[in-house]
Formats: sequence, structure tokens, C-alpha cells
Amino acid sequence: MSVTKKITVKRAEIAVAVILALCSIALMIKSAENRITWNAEENMGAGFLPFYLSLGMLICTVLTIIKFVLKRSPQSKDDSPFIEAEAFKYIAVTIISLVILVLAIGYLGIYFSLIFFLAFYLRYFSSKSILFISVFSLITPVLTFLFFEWLLKIPLPQGISEPLFYPVYDFMYS
Amino acid sequence: MDVFILLLEGIFVSFEPLNLGLLIFGCLIGLFVGAMPGLGSVNGVAILIPITFIIPPTAAIIFLAAVYYGAMYGGAISSVMLGIPGASTAVATVFDGRPLAVKGEAMTALTAAAVGSFVGGTVSVILFTLFAPPLAEVALRFNAPETFALMVMAFATFVGLGGDDVPKTIFSILIGLALSTIGLDLITGKPRLIFFNIPGFLHGINFLVLAIGIYGIGEMLWTLEETKGKVQMSKLSVNMKEVGRAFGALKKTIMAMNIGSFLGFFVGILPAAGATPASLMSYGITKQLSKNSKEFGSGVPAGVVAPECANNSASTGSMLPMLTLGIPGSPTTAILLGGMILWGLTPGPLLFTQEPEFVWGLIGSLYIANFFTLVLNIALIPAFLMVLRIPFAILAPVIFVLCVTGGYAPTQSLHDVWLMLLFGFAGYILRKLDYPVAPAVLSIVLGPLAEKALRQSLILSDGSMGIFFDMAEKPIAAIIMYIAIVLLIMPAFGPLYRKFFKKAQTT
Repeated sequence: MSVTKKITVKRAEIAVAVILALCSIALMIKSAENRITWNAEENMGAGFLPFYLSLGMLICTVLTIIKFVLKRSPQSKDDSPFIEAEAFKYIAVTIISLVILVLAIGYLGIYFSLIFFLAFYLRYFSSKSILFISVFSLITPVLTFLFFEWLLKIPLPQGISEPLFYPVYDFMYS
Repeated sequence: MDVFILLLEGIFVSFEPLNLGLLIFGCLIGLFVGAMPGLGSVNGVAILIPITFIIPPTAAIIFLAAVYYGAMYGGAISSVMLGIPGASTAVATVFDGRPLAVKGEAMTALTAAAVGSFVGGTVSVILFTLFAPPLAEVALRFNAPETFALMVMAFATFVGLGGDDVPKTIFSILIGLALSTIGLDLITGKPRLIFFNIPGFLHGINFLVLAIGIYGIGEMLWTLEETKGKVQMSKLSVNMKEVGRAFGALKKTIMAMNIGSFLGFFVGILPAAGATPASLMSYGITKQLSKNSKEFGSGVPAGVVAPECANNSASTGSMLPMLTLGIPGSPTTAILLGGMILWGLTPGPLLFTQEPEFVWGLIGSLYIANFFTLVLNIALIPAFLMVLRIPFAILAPVIFVLCVTGGYAPTQSLHDVWLMLLFGFAGYILRKLDYPVAPAVLSIVLGPLAEKALRQSLILSDGSMGIFFDMAEKPIAAIIMYIAIVLLIMPAFGPLYRKFFKKAQTT
């Protein structure tokens, strides 16, 4: 049985509810680093609102779990795969490539990272020619640069590639 | 008379070169965004909001409102031609739009959608012009308790009328509110919820990070899964004879136009409702009241006109509480409201007195945008069909690039881009499990405003929550709070009502 068939909607529902319950507890603990009490003399502590909002979240997740156990929610009776195998490939590759893109932005800078991201993504998922992919992958970062740095004057992260842009800035601001 | 003069001034404001250029550009982008499966007004507005930082607020709101408007028109194009709704607001358009296209009458369906949108948009903007000033005048008397009560009612509407799983809806509201508390506390100045002492959390979580994450990254993942890049386009012949025949078919849709326009407007005003339920309700009621109700679903123009009238009308209606009360009527207006705060404005009734150019420029632009979108929509149908042929595998990375740059630009911090990715993945999974995501976006926008109003109210009352329920001192706040409580407990009576109804039927 493939991994995608093992992860059914039913299993995903309970797993996500448990994870959200744990996150709510973590938020409550974190909120309690500040004062969580409230009275007329002391006014509201900084942790009061986040603590009780997290408590509310915990109650909601517990209710979701109870509905699951009592089979009152549609998901609790659904044994179909949470995600189809073909779609899983799209989603997994997209998520991994996005994570690598953001990691690369911190090191290589956004423009070079975008070139690699677009080239990989288009090569992997589309049937376009190498020429199309190359032109598309180069033009998109150039347009991004012109739009943000030239038009909006918002500098985007450039990482180790920053010195390569000095001549362009000299030209733009001279 | 005053309203008429202010409206004229607003129309003149929207004819200023920058505003008019952005209005037409916004309509075009909106049509494109709406036409693309998986992208709707909320995605377009969320992704595009960072580019409005360099233009004046009036031009920015005119541009984004035009995107919102255009997307309502554009949604019908892919519903008809691909059988995939361009956005959730155009789901009901598929019911009869797609069968019409399959029968070879795609032009009739597209014309019906465009004219329906125009009629719905026009009726609603007239209602908007008439209702907005008196409502804003009443809202001017609101203080912190009334404001807080209104916000509670906005959250309660999601629970009472949203129609989703109640614990999951409340969870979504609460997580949005909890995320909005991250950063420095307004009153004590103490840092709250600074996870792992990461300094990025000190400036809080910008609503855009959540909005772009959910409606950009999350929506793209959802659409990639749904479409897997495959599209099935219907054939379309565009000539004057076809267009003439299409207009002729609209004679039988007057009732659908009336239902869609008026129902859409009033449903649009409700915070939890917006254009999607408005269009579905309008389709359902038109079908019920029609003499040819059995033909609905097999391709009748009235089945296209009813939802298209309603979704445009609702989009205008949802701006009414946004401008007059500072409460968004839809996820898209929640993002617009967040935009106003970013542009340095205070949403709410004071806008009418302090920023008349902004308010009336927006209202005036709705009239102009309605006209331009109709013209552009019909004229550019062949161009939109070309765009629809772009494989999703090419469109998706472009949207991801826009999301990453849009997530970085407001604070220029990679920390926010990571958070955006996290929210995108989480939003995708939660949406697959029927957790509504719109309440979380609404909550993160309203959270800081609600907290401020709550704390100010409690200072006024020396810490007593009774201030929200005091019919003698604060009747408006109390009435709104009681309505909110009714909305909150309403879902609990649903099963009881059904049980009683079944029992009555059997006896």
C-alpha cells in the first residue's frame, strides 16, 4: 500500500486535531510567561488575551476530537486518501522547491534563486522547450528587479550576489 | 442633494489621470485574476496590496477595488469555458454556464454573465451610495464599547451563518485573534508570544503574511491538486450575430437580475456571507421562482445571470460595513481594511468626514469601474481565452514569485516569508479538512482593533464586562451584543429544529 493510500482523510483529521491541540497548549504555556490575570485594580495582564484565546482553541480542538470519536463529522467516516498519488507529486515537489527557494534567497539572493527555481519548476512540470524555459527563467527575475528596485525602490535580498548589482545601482542612481 | 454633489466629486476624483489609469489597469488585472481557475478577488487583492505602498491611498483603493470588481466579472469566464469556477464566487455560474457552452452557446453564457454582472454592480452601487452616508452618521456616535460589540458580532456571524463546522469555525477565529496578539502589548509594552526569542516576532504578524500565505501559496497548492494542470476548453465563435442573439436571450432574465441584485447586496453586507453564498442563494431562489425551474442546470441564461448579478452586487455590498463601520463584509474587504491601516488611515465612519476624497473617490470609481469592466470583458473575451490556455505549471511558479516578493516587501524580512510559507502549507491542509480559513484572516485584521476597543471599554467601566450589556447606558452596544449571542448559539438549535421538524412531518 502506497503512503498516500495509508494517509486517509480520517487519519489526517485526527492527526491534525491532535497537533492543533498541542499547539494550543504550547501557546497557553508561552502566554503564561506574562501575567494572565485581570481585575479592576491591575487591569489586564499582557498574557491574559493570548492565554484565553489559546484555551478557547484547545476547547475547539477537543470538541473536534470528540466529534471524531463519536463519528459525528464527515471526516471521521472518510477512508478515502487524503491526497491522490498524482496530486501528491505536484504538492510535495512544490513545497520542497519553495522551501529550497526561501533557503537559497538568504544565501544566493532572490534574483539568482528565482532563476534556479523557475528553471527547475518549469522543467519538472511543463513540457516547454529548453529555450522557452531559459528565457522565461531569466526574464521573470529581471522584471521583478525592475519593478521592486527601480519602480518601488524596495531592495530585495541579494545575499552573496550583492556586489554584482553595484554597477546596476550606479547606473540607476547616477 | 449633498450626496449627489459628493458623488459627482468622487467621480471626478476617479477621472484623474493616475486614478483612471489604475482603475482600468485594475479592471484588467481583476478580469484576468478572476478568469484564472484558483485565483479570485481575495487572492488578487492579497498578492497585489504590497505594490500599492508607493501610490496615494485614494489611487490604491481605486486600483484594488477595481481588481475586486474585475475578478467578479472574470470568474464567469473559466466557469463557462472550462467548467472550473474561476473563484468560489463563480461556482453557481458553472451550473448553467457550462451546459450552455457544451451546447455551443458559450457566447450567450458569457454575455449573460457580463450583462448580469453589470446590472448587479450598478444596482448595488446605487444602493451603496444611498445607504452609506446615513449609516456612517449613525456609526459616528459609536465609542469603544459599540465598536467592540460590532466586532464580536462580525465574529459571531461566521459561527451563526457561516454554515461550516462550528468548533472548526471558532478555532479559525481564535487562531487569527491569537496570532494578532503576537508582538508588543499595546498597553504594557511587554513582548508577547515571542517564540524561541526570534526577533522577527517582536513586530507582530502582519495580516498580509497570513493573507498571502493562505490565499496565495495555499490556494495555489489547492488548485494544483484539483486541476493537475489539465484544462478542457470549450469552443467559442465570436461574431456580431452571436452577440446579438446573446443579448436577445437576456429578455427572459429580468427576474433573475432583480433577485440577484437586491439579494446580493444585502447578503454581501453580512460579515460572514460575501459573494459566494449570495450567488448560490440567488441561483436557488431564481430557480425556485422560475416558471421553467426544471430547465435550470441544463443551460438557461437566467441560471447564469442570477449568480453573476448577485456576486457583483455582494462585492459592493461588502464594502458598505467596511467603509461605514470598519467591519469587513468579506475576506477581500478584510484585506482592503488591513490595507487602509497600512496606508495610515483609520477605517470607520470618521473616513467620511476626515477623508471624503478617499471615500467618495472609491464610491465614484465603482460606477466607472462597472462600465469599464463590462466593455473590457466583452471586448477581450478572445484574449482571456488565450490566457486560459496557459498551462497551470507555468502560471503557478509566477504566482509563487509574486507571493514570495509580496511577502517580503512590506517588512523586508525573510522571517515573514518563512511564516507566509508556513501559513500557506497549514492553510492548504486545514482547508482540505473543512476548517474555514476566511475567519482567521478577518480576525488577524480586526484583532488589534478589537483588543484596543475592549481595553478602552474596560478602562471606562473600571474593569466591568457589564458595559457591553447595559441597556440603560450603552443600548446600541447591548443590542449588538445580544444579537451576537443569538448568532453564536444559533447553530446549537439547528439539530433540535431538524429533529422537531422531522417529528412533525412523521406525525
